Amino acid sequence: MDLGLRDKNVLITGATQGIGRRTANLFALEGANVAICSRSPESVNKAVKEISALADGQIIGAPCNIKNKEEYEAWIEKMVEELGGVDIFIPNVSAGGGADSEKNWWKNFEVDVLGTVRGAEAVIPYMEEQENGVITMLCSTAAIETFAVLQPFNAMKAALITYAKQLSQEWGHKNIRVNAVSPGPIHFDGGAWDMIKTSSERFYERTEKTHALGRLGTPEEVANCIVFLSSPASGWVTGVNFVVDGGYTKRVQF
Amino acid sequence: MEIRRKQKIKRVSRKQGRTGTPVKPAPKPQLGSALIPKTRYTSHDYAKREWAHMWTKVWLLGCREDDIPNVGDHIVTEIGAESILLVRQKDKSVKAFYNVCLHRGNRLVHAVETPQEEAAYFRCKYHNWEYGLDGAFTDIPDLETFPQGAPKCGGLINLPCDRWGSFVWFSLDPNVEPLKAFLGVIPEHLNPYHFERMVPTKFITVEWDCNWKASVDAFNESYHVQGIHPQLLYYLDDLDIQIDCYDKHSRYLIAFGVLSPRVIPPGEIPPPIKQVMKDADMDPASYEGSVYNIREAVQQYKRAHGPAQGKNYDALNDDQLTDDYHYMIFPNITMNVHADDMMMFRQRPHPDDPNKMFFDYWMFELPDNEFDWDEYERPTHKQYKHGEISLGLVINQDAYNLPFVQKGMNSSGYEGLWIGNQELRIRHFHDTLENYLSASTAKKTATKKTPAQKMPAQKTTAKKSPAKKTGQKKTLTKKTPTKKRRGKNK
Repeated sequence: MDLGLRDKNVLITGATQGIGRRTANLFALEGANVAICSRSPESVNKAVKEISALADGQIIGAPCNIKNKEEYEAWIEKMVEELGGVDIFIPNVSAGGGADSEKNWWKNFEVDVLGTVRGAEAVIPYMEEQENGVITMLCSTAAIETFAVLQPFNAMKAALITYAKQLSQEWGHKNIRVNAVSPGPIHFDGGAWDMIKTSSERFYERTEKTHALGRLGTPEEVANCIVFLSSPASGWVTGVNFVVDGGYTKRVQF
Repeated sequence: MEIRRKQKIKRVSRKQGRTGTPVKPAPKPQLGSALIPKTRYTSHDYAKREWAHMWTKVWLLGCREDDIPNVGDHIVTEIGAESILLVRQKDKSVKAFYNVCLHRGNRLVHAVETPQEEAAYFRCKYHNWEYGLDGAFTDIPDLETFPQGAPKCGGLINLPCDRWGSFVWFSLDPNVEPLKAFLGVIPEHLNPYHFERMVPTKFITVEWDCNWKASVDAFNESYHVQGIHPQLLYYLDDLDIQIDCYDKHSRYLIAFGVLSPRVIPPGEIPPPIKQVMKDADMDPASYEGSVYNIREAVQQYKRAHGPAQGKNYDALNDDQLTDDYHYMIFPNITMNVHADDMMMFRQRPHPDDPNKMFFDYWMFELPDNEFDWDEYERPTHKQYKHGEISLGLVINQDAYNLPFVQKGMNSSGYEGLWIGNQELRIRHFHDTLENYLSASTAKKTATKKTPAQKMPAQKTTAKKSPAKKTGQKKTLTKKTPTKKRRGKNK
């Protein structure tokens, strides 16, 4: 199946590691042009270099602190200009978990929620004009089932699922598709579950067993789903929350 | 576990002011790489030699000074088969006696490791023989019925006793060197922490099924972190540590609030490092820097905010504000020393079984401005069997494992300890121990000294006693024996 991604222009926030990075890699392998960002210039440059080695298309990037509205909008504008447009937008950056203080609420709101909303509002005018576009948001199974501890990450990701659905209704008439992808526990070197595997092996093993498929997911497996949902191959899918969790959650999704 | 990153810990290069803890690395002792025979851990004969030539020749930690702040306050501590009575004197010094009535051998004071308040005298419960606070006989009922008179020693047998670092020390050797000489570099190194400012928050004893040295060993190397304490790999650097061996004692300096080179930094601050920040009153969620800079950020924060929190770090260098300065005072004290707390273990041999020991666990905390003195209750000592009480995750992990080590050492399939460079302190510890065992046999031929009935009167140097604080602490000792902590948890 041809995903139809050749020459598409893709913007991904925070794609220097983890799921975001694997997603950027895969878009590059599919022939798309990809723009990435991260707070640190060194890690952007390193990632651009590494992704370029896989790519036929153009790979670019620039440092950006998503929390800063002007900086973020300027990054989007610059990337769209350099790539010559934007067809696909993946707001991926997250402030992660944690419940240390009220500050965690602000961080998850600013990075996860506003980082998605501001990005969407910045790319939609381009998509509206070309009457074509895809936004695929990174959410989490922590939003759909009680998970770990009480933390703002879980509730803020839930906000995004609702936002994605409404956005898809709002802009469907301009052929803009909007979906959410909700991964369950994912293991990769330097990830949160790598830390849990090292420091509490038994808890990690118990978590593996609660997955219907008996293990944790890989970032590549999540990236596959993000890239498929973002591609013309899934042209009839909009407004869904695509759960990618190997059977970790137990609810029935009617 | 593989090493996944390169890392060099930044350390301060000089001590803090004139009286700070020295930080310069000590020369590495050349102690070879020979196998350490396992019989030292399993043989009754070796345990007897340890008793004869080491335990009875060294200084031993008896109690905290604030266990017995007032005249007549006393406490009993035990070592091997001996029971020692420590008594606060009228001149505020402390005397140590064998805790035994000279009449028929009854233990004079029966309560162990439990401070007793303000005795005016000690009266044996068997026949009412009575001793003054200085140990001298004050009453022997029906003395005229003893044609031989009172025992010629004149009272309880006095032992060398002195004080340092908020602790009372004693020795079973009447001819022991002065405490200061025995401790060597230790006071210079540890005085900056001002243990006398810290309050005890925990004191328990657990009987462990292992040799006392197996326990000492478990705290003298960081090599086992990647084996038994993997969660600490997100808390400390277990590889780049500074090991310093001194005359009898040793230390290592371990950076806390950092990641081990064996792990890759996760996208978020690991929970144990968050705890380091929270303990300093920092909000991890507000921290915008790299995980690699947290240790320094905490140091700077504590330096800036410590005084306002009521914590005086003047004599401590920046590393000491985060790191573990781990000291071992020969033969049996291992201490995790931190700016805000001190976790101290005393490992005591079982009187007659080398496969058992007593693990004494003290926790001390530096009270800050918010420390609730009204809620604070001095911990009362309790003794447990192995597994009866949780000692916190890290010590539980060690405690779970040690009986298996002891069992393994008794196997015919095992010859002895195969020690690497990361375990240098274990080799140094054994070297010191062996020096005692061999020096004593050499000395025996040179000098012949019969154990005196009456020990020489003990000189005590009283200068560093925190006597001014004892009034406050005294009222604390009267509370009911439940422990409640309002200080920071570790």
